[in-house]
Amino acid sequence: MAILKVTDLHARYSAKGPEILKGISFEVEDNDFFAIIGPSGAGKSTLIRCINRLVEPTSGSIIFDNRDVTRLRRKDLRRLRRDIGMIFQEFNLINRMSVMDNVLSGRLGYTSDIRTLFRAFPRSDIEHALELLERVGLSDHVDKRADELSGGQRQRVGIARALMQNPKLMLLDEPTSALDPKISREVMELIKQMAQELKVPCLCNIHDVKLAQEFCNKIIGLQDGVTMFSGATELMDEAKLGEIYAMEVL
Amino acid sequence: MPWKFSEVADMQPISAARFGAGADAILMQRRNKRYVIAAAYAAMLALVIWSIDVTVVKDTDWERIGSLAEVMESVNRFVGIDFELFSNLLVPTIETLMIACLGTFLGLILCIPAAWFGAMNITPYKPVTYPLARLMMTLSRSIHEIVWALFFVSVVGLGPMAGVFAIAVRSVGFIAKMTAEAIEDIDHGPVEAIRAAGGSPFQVVYYAILPQVLPQIVSVVIFEWEINIRRSAVLGLVGAGGLGLVFFRQMNTFNFHGVTTVILAILLIILMGEAVSYFIRRRLI
Repeated sequence: MAILKVTDLHARYSAKGPEILKGISFEVEDNDFFAIIGPSGAGKSTLIRCINRLVEPTSGSIIFDNRDVTRLRRKDLRRLRRDIGMIFQEFNLINRMSVMDNVLSGRLGYTSDIRTLFRAFPRSDIEHALELLERVGLSDHVDKRADELSGGQRQRVGIARALMQNPKLMLLDEPTSALDPKISREVMELIKQMAQELKVPCLCNIHDVKLAQEFCNKIIGLQDGVTMFSGATELMDEAKLGEIYAMEVL
Repeated sequence: MPWKFSEVADMQPISAARFGAGADAILMQRRNKRYVIAAAYAAMLALVIWSIDVTVVKDTDWERIGSLAEVMESVNRFVGIDFELFSNLLVPTIETLMIACLGTFLGLILCIPAAWFGAMNITPYKPVTYPLARLMMTLSRSIHEIVWALFFVSVVGLGPMAGVFAIAVRSVGFIAKMTAEAIEDIDHGPVEAIRAAGGSPFQVVYYAILPQVLPQIVSVVIFEWEINIRRSAVLGLVGAGGLGLVFFRQMNTFNFHGVTTVILAILLIILMGEAVSYFIRRRLI
């Protein structure tokens, strides 16, 4: 069964502005590692932000886990968001806080404002955080400030933070664009490994087509807000790639 | 025309003589301008002389100042310390310091809504709350602390409480303005991350915004506290507590040594404030 079903999604940032997404439809199944590829400006980031409504879509439907995402009210929207982990291109960590606090911030959706004020996370959360930090190889950096870490290490913190939510879906917004090729591969491997182990489907924006073909089982190709390709990775060939990136020099 | 490096080689050798005609034109322009500049300077000089004549020369009671020796004697009256005043100074000095501390603290609390409403990127309802916050900031800064003190003395009566309120209200403008500007300059990434994790608006502020602006807030508050010590030292002049009142009394009773003593006490707490702020700054920033 599909955990996420997007149908005819349209989005624009302002009433008079250009339409960024022009009717996108796709489905993410339970075991998918789903890639969204396309040249910059194609609408990849907008599409992925519509799923957890960091960007409000103008029309179309998004069904996640039997919930109609576009109709959720504020409180239910927060409940939805805590079921969806997100990893960012620029990591988006809180630089002045420790690695531990950054990972724990993944639990904020489950934490009351009063508890937040005193940073009073339950013991189970701290144990969970320590375990995840061990899994991403940061056990020695628990008390360090996030801005003391290297790029690859920061993204590992980002991965641990997203997994802290016990997500039912992960959104990856260009998780490797800010990293060098070697680290990029390591980070993708880590994400894929954790996702398979925890059985979390992933929806991943990715600029690097080679990485997409290597790690993802399905691909949707966008160009200027329109779907140019959609299907299993094996069906993707040079001709179709050329079409998607027609406006950009590869 | 964009200039190309390769064209340098094609240019003629440097020779100033070729520009004789061009230089003449520029010299002519300058000569004409010279008269305008001279006239402007003359007008300015006349204005300055006229101002001195009207406000200083004609408006001063020269007879009363007397000779230079008499002026020196008047100055001399202030040289000396009134040791008997010491016991009466301790409480007002502490009071002045407390007015500054409490006033800054209260001002900081008042800043929470002002900075929140006044930061373009997080203001709850832009058409209403943003102008409201800007109005608060401008009002706070454009009215002098003595005027605020007069207002609060008439509201809550004589005493240090009026001083605390005056200092607080006077501090809001600067602290809130600097904080709001810091908030407008934050990296939006962490905000997005906390929202994506299902964070409430409070959690976004507490986790994603506050850590980014805290160093600036601390720095601004220390700076304002230092200024507030100076401000609270004079509030007593209008009955809002502290050293100002003692100063006023010494002046009224022509106890000139007492005046000097109060000034030294003010100087002492200001130096102390500067030392403390230097220490905190070095530790925190």
